[in-house]
Amino acid sequence: MNEYTLLILLLLISLLWFYFGNKTALSLKNKQLKLNSLPHYYGIYVALYSIIPSLFSYLLILVFDGILFSNLIMEFVPKEILNSPDFNKIIVLAQIDNAVRGIYFGEQPDWVTIASNQMIEWNNQSLILNFFCSISLALGIGYLGFKNIHQEFRSRNSVEKIIISLLGLSSIIAILTTIGIVFSVIFESLRFFAIIPASEFLFGLTWNPQFEGAERAGSGQEGLASYGSVPLFVGTFLISLIALCVSVPIGLFSAVYLSEYANKKERSIFKPLLEILAGIPTVVYGFFAALTVAPLMRNGGSLIGLDVASESALAAGFVMGIMIIPFISSLSDDVINAVPQSLRDAGYGLGSTKNEVITNVIIPAALPGIIASIILAVSRAIGETMIVVMAAGLAANLSFNPLDAVTTVTAQIVTILVGDQEFESAKTLSAFALALTLIVITLILNFYALHVVKKYREQYE
Amino acid sequence: MNKNNSKMLTADEASKIVASSVIRRRKKDARLKTYGRIAIGLAVSFLIFLFVSIFSKGIPGFFQYYVTLDVYLDRDRLDPKGDLSPESLYNGDARSIVLESLYKVINPKGRKEKKAAKKIISSNADVRISKMVLDNSKILGKTISITFAVDDDIDSFLRGYIKRETPSSERRINDTVIKFVDKLSAENRISYKFSDYILTGSASRSPEIAGIKGAFIGSMLTLAVCFIIAFPLGVATAVYLEEFAPKNRITEIIEVNINNLAAVPSVVFGILGLAIFIGVFGMPRSIPLLGGMVLALMTLPTIIISSRAAIRAVPPSIKDAAYGIGASKLQTIFHHVLPLAMPGMLTGTIIGMAQALGETAPLLMIGMVAFIVDIPGGVTDPGTVLPVQIFMWADFAERMFIQKTSSAIIVLLVFLIFMNAAAVILRKKLERRW
Amino acid sequence: MVSNSNINNVKTKTIGEIFSKDPKIICRNVDVFYGEKQAIKDVSIDIASREIISFIGPSGCGKSTFLRCLNRMNDTIDTCKVKGSISLDKEDIYDEKIDVVTLRAKIGMVFQKPNPFPKSIYENVAYGPKIHGLSSSKEELDFIVENSLKDSGLWEEVKDRLQSPGTGLSGGQQQRLCIARAIAVSPEIILMDEPCSALDPIATAKIEELINQLGKNYSIVIVTHSMQQAARISQRTAYFHLGELIEVGETKKIFTMPKDKQTEAYISGRIG
Repeated sequence: MNEYTLLILLLLISLLWFYFGNKTALSLKNKQLKLNSLPHYYGIYVALYSIIPSLFSYLLILVFDGILFSNLIMEFVPKEILNSPDFNKIIVLAQIDNAVRGIYFGEQPDWVTIASNQMIEWNNQSLILNFFCSISLALGIGYLGFKNIHQEFRSRNSVEKIIISLLGLSSIIAILTTIGIVFSVIFESLRFFAIIPASEFLFGLTWNPQFEGAERAGSGQEGLASYGSVPLFVGTFLISLIALCVSVPIGLFSAVYLSEYANKKERSIFKPLLEILAGIPTVVYGFFAALTVAPLMRNGGSLIGLDVASESALAAGFVMGIMIIPFISSLSDDVINAVPQSLRDAGYGLGSTKNEVITNVIIPAALPGIIASIILAVSRAIGETMIVVMAAGLAANLSFNPLDAVTTVTAQIVTILVGDQEFESAKTLSAFALALTLIVITLILNFYALHVVKKYREQYE
Repeated sequence: MNKNNSKMLTADEASKIVASSVIRRRKKDARLKTYGRIAIGLAVSFLIFLFVSIFSKGIPGFFQYYVTLDVYLDRDRLDPKGDLSPESLYNGDARSIVLESLYKVINPKGRKEKKAAKKIISSNADVRISKMVLDNSKILGKTISITFAVDDDIDSFLRGYIKRETPSSERRINDTVIKFVDKLSAENRISYKFSDYILTGSASRSPEIAGIKGAFIGSMLTLAVCFIIAFPLGVATAVYLEEFAPKNRITEIIEVNINNLAAVPSVVFGILGLAIFIGVFGMPRSIPLLGGMVLALMTLPTIIISSRAAIRAVPPSIKDAAYGIGASKLQTIFHHVLPLAMPGMLTGTIIGMAQALGETAPLLMIGMVAFIVDIPGGVTDPGTVLPVQIFMWADFAERMFIQKTSSAIIVLLVFLIFMNAAAVILRKKLERRW
Repeated sequence: MVSNSNINNVKTKTIGEIFSKDPKIICRNVDVFYGEKQAIKDVSIDIASREIISFIGPSGCGKSTFLRCLNRMNDTIDTCKVKGSISLDKEDIYDEKIDVVTLRAKIGMVFQKPNPFPKSIYENVAYGPKIHGLSSSKEELDFIVENSLKDSGLWEEVKDRLQSPGTGLSGGQQQRLCIARAIAVSPEIILMDEPCSALDPIATAKIEELINQLGKNYSIVIVTHSMQQAARISQRTAYFHLGELIEVGETKKIFTMPKDKQTEAYISGRIG
């Protein structure tokens, strides 16, 4: 018996209710009574009645017993561990969890064995509780639904009402996601700003995060860690700028060529080819940047006497530029195609060349949309992670030189949050503060771009 | 008309001026066209460069060097307990048996040479023998010739990445080892063939036996979870917003919200997973279930937006026809609108899934970066995914990992190409209908 | 060059007088294909200097397609192929030597829906002279703009707001702006593709009056849906049906005593 069998059991019960509901409705029909809805709606009605509350309670218990137990189990952790400076709840829980799963790494303390046994017992009890609650709900509420069946009952309307509310509920998920993002970032950020003043974070010129432990180890060297985010934003800005220098001209000229000059055949070949660039995973671009482009640039640089860092902003920015070419080209292509044919006709009818129609008629008309596409590309570049993690490095240099190694906001977030963290340390919390600023920036860019596009659409509708 | 036309050009004058300007204007036109061609040429050549660079490294990664040895499978030494159980074989002496058969060929003298000889064969050789015995115990007590993967440094040497000319002190393998390898080649014992490990092996620190099976299965499990969550939710949300949602503030907020979620950088979803799913709900790290949930939230906006577009593209006349014969709104949607919109919704979903398959950053943050040797058997077993595996391998120093990484990328790309091709075909079908 | 000897020596099924004494445009055996589909079948007709000729016929009969062949607007459609000969001043306009830019500068066009550029009124009219280099100074350009707007009867209405956007004008004003834009490059011929179909009756009356005025200086080919309009403004009328030119002749004759049964059926309202 485990969670899965319980789930299957619940499904079987609701299937059974469907059968009974259907059968009852059919028997009513066989008595020559005129039913309000088709018989199977009665079955579906009872089945939904049975499955929804039971599934709800099933998931509720499944999710919250874990939270409850992980707090209760702390009772079993010895005081000296709880109070020791190295205490880490996540690691302690993982220790117990491993013991529960039967994974052992060498000798383990007694308290872990006791706690894991307790945990196993709790888990079993919770499963039994879950079993009784869910099954009785499935049977009981299903029976209530079943009793509702009579000749006049408008089962189809009820079923539809239930389904529509389910549809509505699922649209709430998007809101919940946003709330989740906001909450997960805001609280930790506030805690970060309680340790490090916001002014230092926003205007400080050195970024050198350290774990508390490391700080203590370097005894006497207080202020070893510093959280000035300016170098990260400069790095992000620099790499995005390089990316735009690559992608904007290539993307725009490609879009103009494909929409205005290319014949059907060329379009059908080159458009998908450009779109392939958008479909390549960023980790592949990162690998390409780190192992192919960066060495090429370093060797090329040394040939002409330039000292290019092995993890240069240029390599990362260049490859990122390649990645966002299709964003600019396909979005611009869309807006260029949205320019009404009648305007083109007007231009050609007066004897303009294609060049003249493009520069005098199409580009001015499509400009807002093109700008929006560039803004979206910028927000994409700022949020891009893997390329910079793999190719730009982690050295937080405050430098505008594209040949230097720089780091970005996203790269720092990932490196800080990968692996085990001390949730209380300023270093971990700084990642959340960085994420908060990142979200704010991309949202502003996105809002503005959508606004521009909307304005532009209205102009032609 | 034209009473005051002293300065207004006549048609003849005008056409003369026009004719004289035409050559200059055509040149300008040709220039713009050339710029366009150059831009496309550059973009396409970047693409080709990327593919060539990855395929030229990755194709050799599917192959590796093997050494063939005649091994006497001593029953007592291999299976000390004599019950043919995995534990017994594990405690057996397979490693020395392999080395002894190697020594027979190359005759190392003294401890130094023996130490060098040990470097030739992959540390996995004993596992290979144990597996063969487990599969077929009849081979015990016989002498059979078995091929073993060579160690990754030897592999790199045979490929020519480690050069003979380099001074011994700067090489990863010394002259003695090279002498032995030459001897083995002279006896035709070295062979180059399709790797046994790349597709079926799982994560390992030894590049010669590392494979992508674990990561691949992890990817599939993660993707399955992602699809099961994101597709129904996405379609349901799209249907609700397109057909039922009242035009009020809440609906408006939901719509704006979805558009903005689509723009949120993927790392942020990793933070969400870390803080909410792990931090609040106490889910274990590193499991495909968690990865799938995070990726589902990330792809949800894509699916919702494309599904809404697909629903909107269904001609209203079809809905009117259904209403006209007395179908309820829900019946109309489920019987007529959804089937017609399905190709469009699936296209969006496949594109979303392709995104999820290639996504790395959020998964790093929820611990799917852990070094996991076991192949996950379910969505709650710890596992990793292909892109993360690629990321980890790319960080390793061994030369052979570069090829293996490229091979893993090829596998990933092949899958993505299949998925995108499916999306394109679906889109074509969709276009044909209306 | 199309030699003089064979231009009036053409086989045609068209009833009526396809030739004119002073032909500006000469079309002979013109076929137009959209991919596999033939849209225009064997049309031969002359268009004289300073005449107003209307093309009438039921929708989909090819009259607009044929009109767009005359200044090669069909070039923008990939699948469109034109066969036969069309010549302007005895020069084949589909000849490789002819640049479509110079051709379209000579043959202006006004479209069904008013399509001013999203720029100022001034810029709209000045656009053509600017790209073709017809003016060497700001004064000359101002003069051309003023004159064209006067000729299109719009000057009095817009002279105080030349810098306001052309898209802000009313439909009828927009269409007159498009006509001003077309005549600003001093064309010889103006093609009009149902110029009044998107306008109300009062705006239509103004445009018709304008066309009558312009007819003194330009050849005007006008495609129209309204037979009354054709009767009011044109000297000659051509009736198209299913891609064929059925009958051509003086407008009065066509409308009072059509020779062809199909023409008669259309005129009397039996084909719509």
